[in-house]
Amino acid sequence: MIQTVARPVFPNLHALPAPEPFEEAAASHPQDFAPVLAFALSRALMAAEGRGDGRPLAMVSTVPFEHERGRLSAWGARGLGLDPARLLVIRARREPEAQWAFEEALKSGALAAVIGALETPSFVATRRLDFAARAGQASAFVLRSKPPSDLSAARLRWRVSAEPSADHPLDPRAPGAARLAAELVRSRDGGSGRFLLEQDHETGRFRLAAGLADHGLAPQPHALQVA
Amino acid sequence: MVLHAVDRVAREVFRLHPGQSHADARAIAPGLVSAPAEPEEEARALQALALWFERFSPLVAVDAAFPGQEGLLLDMTGGAHLFGGEQALLQEIVRRLAAAGIPAAAAIADTPGAAFALARWSGETAAVAPPGETRAALADLPVEALRLSGDAVRLLARFGLQRVGDLYGLPRAGLARRFRDPEGLALVRRLDQALGAEAEPLKPERPAPEYRAWQAFAEPLIETEGVTYALPALAEALCAELERTGQGARMLALDAFRTDGRVVRLTAGLSAPSRTPKHLLRLFKDKGIEALDLGFGADVLMLSALAAEPLAPRQAELQGDSRLAGNDALAGLIDRLQARLGEGAVRRPEGVQSHLPERSERWVAAGPKAPPAADPPFRPRPLVMFDPPEPVEALAELPDAAPSRFTWRRAPHRVAKAQGPERLSPEWWRPASGPARTRDYYVVEDDAGRRFWLFREGLYERIEGDDDRLPRWWMQGAWG
Repeated sequence: MIQTVARPVFPNLHALPAPEPFEEAAASHPQDFAPVLAFALSRALMAAEGRGDGRPLAMVSTVPFEHERGRLSAWGARGLGLDPARLLVIRARREPEAQWAFEEALKSGALAAVIGALETPSFVATRRLDFAARAGQASAFVLRSKPPSDLSAARLRWRVSAEPSADHPLDPRAPGAARLAAELVRSRDGGSGRFLLEQDHETGRFRLAAGLADHGLAPQPHALQVA
Repeated sequence: MVLHAVDRVAREVFRLHPGQSHADARAIAPGLVSAPAEPEEEARALQALALWFERFSPLVAVDAAFPGQEGLLLDMTGGAHLFGGEQALLQEIVRRLAAAGIPAAAAIADTPGAAFALARWSGETAAVAPPGETRAALADLPVEALRLSGDAVRLLARFGLQRVGDLYGLPRAGLARRFRDPEGLALVRRLDQALGAEAEPLKPERPAPEYRAWQAFAEPLIETEGVTYALPALAEALCAELERTGQGARMLALDAFRTDGRVVRLTAGLSAPSRTPKHLLRLFKDKGIEALDLGFGADVLMLSALAAEPLAPRQAELQGDSRLAGNDALAGLIDRLQARLGEGAVRRPEGVQSHLPERSERWVAAGPKAPPAADPPFRPRPLVMFDPPEPVEALAELPDAAPSRFTWRRAPHRVAKAQGPERLSPEWWRPASGPARTRDYYVVEDDAGRRFWLFREGLYERIEGDDDRLPRWWMQGAWG
């Protein structure tokens, strides 16, 4: 008997899909790389916490990629709730080396999650990553700086873009809580949806933005002018 | 122009000798073939040869104090029997060098000084002075054999003292008084060193590794596959030796001694001490044994631990995975990645107490333990940093306000929201590398919601009519 899965009418009322061992996130615009990285880190951290996993996390990238898109900052990662003592950065010269390092890091069983900036992984390479992630009980995240058009073995594929931030409770001219939109482009079970995520200022993680009632503090009638 | 070195025919047939003028030599031997001396090249070749001699002894010193009489000194204490005795050892050395195209003479004696003398002046290619008979062995050699300066040799000749044995009976006080050199008691000292009355330590080319395992092959290995087959046994032997003293290797070297008198070496560092053969093997495999250039074959392989650290045996854990097992896995991963990607490919952040973004975090080579942390900066920092900051063309409504629009990487951005400034002054207590200028940092959000960290370098009130000092805008980072 065929069961039909109900599609959510209001995507934000529907919970984010559970973390999978291997996911992929692409920036919808090359300048959206920082939101993609934030989304991946946040999701990898939540997956590790869900497993009660205190192993370190690693980021794999290549030297040209870092030049182009910038490097991960330890204090910035701390803003997402990741203790810098749990962070490793693996830097390869070229992409094939980065792919190899990515796979080794996943297989080693020493890391809770590995986030890799790979521009052109082949389908076979992504299959290998999937197996490696399962073997090492780790989460793998491939970051792409452009929306890809190729095949991938990732269980969930996301497309992430920056969204205008929430209102600042005290200063209307200042950016408030960071927001990003994550669109589930493909998933194994066929689900899709667009999720608006907002950074929680206490934990630093991105969680679903409250869409209906909870608007936080009411905007101040006479906003403080903080230059 | 003078002769620097001569070959056997020139020396024995034409009686040419180093130090003779080139014109004289040409007059004696019109067919003389000469080439310019290349002392640096020679020193390099001798050094390479010294490394190759580590196949015989871990302690090899280059002896180049006397130009034209260069040689190598090996400490063979307690090691000659491994090669079938002293005579057999010397013959093997000479034979192997001859095979590599190097004519050589070798000698073995109780002291470096005596071995030096016998190798050069005894006329044999393999001279052995049995233990305790150094005095007799040296007696018939000319006094030059004692490593003396030219002046001392000439003075001795004037006294009619030509053999080393002639000096044995003379009063030491007189010899010491007459034969001095700027460093002191030249002749007496050299004599004592040769006869073993004064110790003469060797200065080895490379410090001898404390832990090493080696294997010689009857047939030279031509292909690196042979090395791959031999390596497990070497790793087992090295690890057994490390285990006996409770040490773990931090730095490994694999030396292949080639038949042509050269050594090729592969090194691998470890982030934490280890003596697991499987791990050591894996490191070399990742490093690429194919990279070893075996030339026409290598007949000795040596695996050594250049650096070792105490590694206490650990009680096995009964239950589940522990932190220690995780640390082991992490150390193994870091080693493998660094073996393939290069040293420093794996890094961890170390907190530094500084408010300047470029100084506040330092990435250090990773080990299984996290580097010390520091207090986090006062204000939040962006997730992605640009190192160094990238220039931005920005337009601000007021001189010291946030920009209202800016162009970065040729893409225009219109600022929707901005917060700032966060003013960071240069750290005046540190020596400045360039002109230090105050920075005003702003968090800006463009109309697409992308958030950046921009800063204005310099202050408008400090321009003082100098256009070079106009404040400029830079892109420091991006927020997630």
